Amino acid sequence: MRAALLIAAKDLRQRLRDRSAIMVAFVVPLGLAFVFDLTLGGISTQGTSFRYGVVDEDRSQISAVFVTEVLPAVQEGGAIRVRTVTSEAAGRRMVADGELTAMFVVPVGFGSAVEGSDAARIRVIGDVDEPTGTQVARSIASRFAADLNAVRVAVATVADPHETDPAELEGIVERAAALESPVEVADVTATTKELDMTTYYAAGMAVFFLFFTVQFGVASLLDERKDGTLSRLLAAPIGRGAILGGKLLTSFVIGTLSMATLIVATSLLLGADWGAPVGVALLVISGVLAAVGIMSIVATLAKTSEQAGNWQSIIAVVLGMLGGVFFPISQAPGILPTLSLVTPQAWFLRGLSDLAGDTGWTVVLPAVLAMLVIAAVTAAIASVRLDRMTRL
Amino acid sequence: MKALAIAAVNIRRMLRDRSNIFFVFVFPMLLILVLGVSFGRGFEPRIGLVAVDAGPLGQDLARELEALPDVEVERFGSVDDLRTSVERGQLEAGVVVPEGYDGAIRAGRDAEVRYVARQSELGLQLSQTVRSAVAEQGQLLRAARLYVSEGAGSLDEGLARAGVAAQALTPVGVVTTTVGEEVFPATLGRFDLGASSTLLLFIFLTSMTSAVALIETRRLGLSRRMLSTPTSVGTIVVGEGLGRFGIALVQGLFIMLGSLIAFGVDWGEPLGSVSLLLCFALVGAGAGMFVGSLLRTEQQAIGVGILIGLGLGALGGCMVPMEFFSSTMVTVAHVTPHAWAIDGYAELIRRDGSFVDVLPYLGILFAYAAVLMGLASWRLRRAITG
Repeated sequence: MRAALLIAAKDLRQRLRDRSAIMVAFVVPLGLAFVFDLTLGGISTQGTSFRYGVVDEDRSQISAVFVTEVLPAVQEGGAIRVRTVTSEAAGRRMVADGELTAMFVVPVGFGSAVEGSDAARIRVIGDVDEPTGTQVARSIASRFAADLNAVRVAVATVADPHETDPAELEGIVERAAALESPVEVADVTATTKELDMTTYYAAGMAVFFLFFTVQFGVASLLDERKDGTLSRLLAAPIGRGAILGGKLLTSFVIGTLSMATLIVATSLLLGADWGAPVGVALLVISGVLAAVGIMSIVATLAKTSEQAGNWQSIIAVVLGMLGGVFFPISQAPGILPTLSLVTPQAWFLRGLSDLAGDTGWTVVLPAVLAMLVIAAVTAAIASVRLDRMTRL
Repeated sequence: MKALAIAAVNIRRMLRDRSNIFFVFVFPMLLILVLGVSFGRGFEPRIGLVAVDAGPLGQDLARELEALPDVEVERFGSVDDLRTSVERGQLEAGVVVPEGYDGAIRAGRDAEVRYVARQSELGLQLSQTVRSAVAEQGQLLRAARLYVSEGAGSLDEGLARAGVAAQALTPVGVVTTTVGEEVFPATLGRFDLGASSTLLLFIFLTSMTSAVALIETRRLGLSRRMLSTPTSVGTIVVGEGLGRFGIALVQGLFIMLGSLIAFGVDWGEPLGSVSLLLCFALVGAGAGMFVGSLLRTEQQAIGVGILIGLGLGALGGCMVPMEFFSSTMVTVAHVTPHAWAIDGYAELIRRDGSFVDVLPYLGILFAYAAVLMGLASWRLRRAITG
């Protein structure tokens, strides 16, 4: 045990003196998180308000209902702002300039057409680059249209207006208007288990570079073998387990140290919000263990430490991309989100996202468990191979 | 001539390293593939839908929702799965048509469709879309209910008649048109947008990390040995520059041709896109040389190279399209050569521009390259002879 600690302490001192280690473990991830936050932090994951314009060319009672009742009611619900514009031409220009997301035009004769059962159309003119905004505008108008249609459709369903006695028809119209739709839409608010952009990039970069940071530990066995110090260590009255333990401990300590520093630094400097400390600590520990396990396997496959470094970089980059550290792959459609769960990076980010839902630190347990399983499996494979590596 | 030999050595050194092959050729293609598969279909909001045992009327409503334009509707088997997906941001919203929806309505009771969303602007906005689909069905249901209450027949007959009546009437409707120029035209292939930004990101990144080789050349004393032969400093500098340029060009052509063949990426007019590539490769070579001449150790160069390579890439719109940036950030982005090159490719690919249309961008990139090359050769002269 003492020997293992001594080896780890020696390796750690060596690492911390190495400027490139400091660079990879602290400077580069922090720098990149800063740049990403600067460029992309302003992008809201929550969307922005749609700005709608409305022109009432009709100025009838029916168009007034749309302009002064329906639209304000929707605006009240939020996420939509409506303003009146002077003319269709002016509104079109504003839509084309991106000042408005879309505009409604209630054309001349709309009200009388509705009353006279003639074709009546509300026009929606949308920004071609705002398909969702245009679609929502269309929906608002459609709902109003459906309400206007409902009575007419209902009356036509039960009676032929040309053959029914006018007095009777009036009664039907009244009863039709009194009927409510049997279907209601109820809003349910879901918790947000999503990281804001700043935290996402801080966490993504931290866990991405973690896989580079933990490379040193096991790969240094290869250096020791090349330099001949491994034989000397083996000749000393130290168990092989102690040597391996020391190396793995080095990786674990550097990894945890780097993560802890980045968490504190990004919280203070960028305002990242990592979530409940206990949950974050569990995620970090299990994440570092998984990273050490994976990188150890890769190291045991290599012959020299350069080769190990190259292979480890490739694995780190591929797992990082698949794990969603550069772009939120977990929100992509298709099978990729499922596929990405083979990587500890994806579990780490998922754990953090669940933590953002503010329901207590226990929500991270599935993610922690998944990373521990990855760590256990990879560590088992690595230790078999490492054992062979340290036999002379 | 000697400069060409030096350049050739540089390219050979790069190609010999197996891990370079991965980062220079394989990884960019992988990234284009993953980006295209995950985000290539644009940014249509996704709505989840649970309509289990909702009966025929429930399925009608589900079909109505699925027919909505500009929204992608995905079916889910359970409310829990739906809710989890909404919480994690995989879906913008979810709609639950309750079990026994059909039965409740037929029995004359009211039914409640649940709309699940996070507290977000888009969630609120999309609720309008769902409500309009429900209102669409509601209008027929109201008619059918009247039919039943007037004692004319059953709800099914009423619904059928209401459908016919709705068709026969000239209903109040909505016409939608759009104005403006599409930033991402519908003809844009799913890999097109990601391919040009990946190309630029990697050319620059490779050039930056190739600064390592430049430092190695000095550290191993190669440059001093070259100087001891009848070779001028100028020739060595030109050779090293040509080497970086050659690497960038080989990589760029590989990515362009590879993505064209593998994913059918549209690179626009060949003359224009190859010219952009040439100019950007010059910029990359200049930047790589400059960094290589400033730094002393390879470790520094790797760290700085990754930081600048990825950092400028992100800033220049290679990771997330500049269309999503704030207007201030768009201005800041144009400090990087990446942003100008992306604008150039957008001109070619999205607006079907030609060589003439990208001339301004070529000019700007060339200016970047000239300045960087100038600075680099000045510094490198001192580094080699010093």
